[in-house]
Amino acid sequence: MGLFDVKIISEHFGVPEAKGLEYYERKGGYRNARKACGMAPESIAAEVQASNLRGRGGAGFPTAMKWSFVPKDADTVYLVVNADESEPGTFKDRHILFWNPHMLVEGMIIASVALKVRNAYIYIRGEMAREYQVLQAAIDEAYAKGYLGERIFGSGTSLDITVYRGLGAYICGEETALLSSLEGGRGWPRLKPPFPAVKGLWGKPTIVNNVETIANLPWILEHGGKAFADLGTGRSGGLRLVSVCGHVNKPGVYELPLTVTGRQLIDEVCGGIKGGRKVKGVIPGGVSMPVLAPDELDVPFEFDALQKDERIREVEVRPGQKFDLGGNRTLRTMAGSGGVVVMDDTTDITQAAWRIVHFFAEESCGQCTPCREGTGWLAQVAHRIAFDHGRAGDVDLLASIADGIAGNTICALGDAAAWPTLAFLTKYRDEFEAKVRNAHRPKGAA
Amino acid sequence: MAGSEPLTKMQRHPSFRARKAVPGKELSPQELSPQIEARIQQLWPRFPEGRAGQALCLPVLYLAQEQFGYVDAAVVDLVAARLGLTAAHVTGVATFYFMINKARPGRYHLQVCTNIGCQLMGAYDVFERCKKRLGVENKGTSADGNVTLTEVECLAACGYGPVAQIAEREKPEIPLYFENLDAKRIDAILDALAEGRVPTELGN
Repeated sequence: MGLFDVKIISEHFGVPEAKGLEYYERKGGYRNARKACGMAPESIAAEVQASNLRGRGGAGFPTAMKWSFVPKDADTVYLVVNADESEPGTFKDRHILFWNPHMLVEGMIIASVALKVRNAYIYIRGEMAREYQVLQAAIDEAYAKGYLGERIFGSGTSLDITVYRGLGAYICGEETALLSSLEGGRGWPRLKPPFPAVKGLWGKPTIVNNVETIANLPWILEHGGKAFADLGTGRSGGLRLVSVCGHVNKPGVYELPLTVTGRQLIDEVCGGIKGGRKVKGVIPGGVSMPVLAPDELDVPFEFDALQKDERIREVEVRPGQKFDLGGNRTLRTMAGSGGVVVMDDTTDITQAAWRIVHFFAEESCGQCTPCREGTGWLAQVAHRIAFDHGRAGDVDLLASIADGIAGNTICALGDAAAWPTLAFLTKYRDEFEAKVRNAHRPKGAA
Repeated sequence: MAGSEPLTKMQRHPSFRARKAVPGKELSPQELSPQIEARIQQLWPRFPEGRAGQALCLPVLYLAQEQFGYVDAAVVDLVAARLGLTAAHVTGVATFYFMINKARPGRYHLQVCTNIGCQLMGAYDVFERCKKRLGVENKGTSADGNVTLTEVECLAACGYGPVAQIAEREKPEIPLYFENLDAKRIDAILDALAEGRVPTELGN
């Protein structure tokens, strides 16, 4: 088998009947959920630990470690699946929900046994109406078969899964905002700690995991944690769903080894840049993440490599002054949500940067002043640079606003607006400065 | 709500002022539909004791919007009364979320994504074309009340952009996605909407 032939999640993408329970079960589905119901929770957790599975929502946090934070004596534990995929550039979870809903349900049964969960929730993006219908139909099928509800598979385990629809707020993809929303309020993030694993939904220990993370669990139980770890590299196990958009010949969702580099992704997987043009920049993990320049694409798109590989330049606040991520750490980039945005050499980087900060200004929840005011200000300044009304000093102003937001907010949305801004300025500063220099000026202005 | 009654404090809230000018005000709701009631009964036990009322705030608001087309002060009062919440809380929720319409949208709600993936593929050309043909700005409704145009953020279909979504007032539950839009395709979509139908053959 070739490098790209192994599939864990995406094998049945595009097969219409794959949505149904009958097809899924014929392919071996629910075997591992049944098995899990007869297993000790600790032994499931041990397999997940051995698998090196890391969260696929954005932060890449080790799943087993997250699970281990749940207090051992907890009387009620909730599992919440984060299906609020709304990071621009990311559309992988939508594929799982639409093509393979039973794999998510089976993964949730496995996780619920491991975490001793009685009530689990799926928080799905409001805009995903079709996916909601497919998912709800799959859950209804599972209930009808006795795979959900009281005493599932005839075991002592009972589990209810409830699908909860969001109403259009990017911030609800942040786990504590998601919990606020699921409790029926505004999607306002909460301070951490306490982390949700200790004090989450209605004050009870709650594990919030991404759709793709959970969908990997049946395979891990089938083949063992070690086999999953062996598919991966270093501290990251398994394969990864990557969604690619922008100026490539074959955009789409691909399940790939973590060793694939940016250049391989563009040239070998996605058939190169449209029209044979050249690449100008690549965002590796959703628009919150710092952009990569063309000479930084030989790094594997893997969690640790993207953070540490020295071939990727460190993000700066201004030339020569590195951005401080806190604790003397610098920022290169991160694997984020796996949403890859490819921009060719015809792209106006200043306009792309403006659209990204405009998005964060729209979606700021308004709780923290640096973010509420800062993102709007960023968008305003970025807009005038991008559309030829930039003023002298605007480039430094942009950097200074971004630096003022980063690290000063409850949740990561502030950072998500600041990091890409600073990265665009670090790597394409000339373009921003040229735009300001050549701006249309009213008569008589300097 | 009779026109002669004085407005309550909540109804004077700026978010709901526009209510008086909304066409179709005579439809001001009297009660939630039996379907919503059934859904409440179904979901209520899924939440812990004492928490269900608030937890159901989002689902019931959304279902109420399907019933009435929008959420105004009167709908808020209905939802709040049914779930045992204050109108202030329900107003707070309704004004936070983008998908809750504060005013009645047109028969078709055309939502065009202009976020990065779509922007790179020409979404602003598509959006400008919609604005011009419909004679509206963002969030405006065409003079005949047929189409409301909204610029939306990422719809999670970035690889197939530019993308738009169309929700139909009569069938709010199944908005269709329209992908790989260009001038020709958006023209065909706008033509169909003008004829009073959603061009399902172009969607997926």
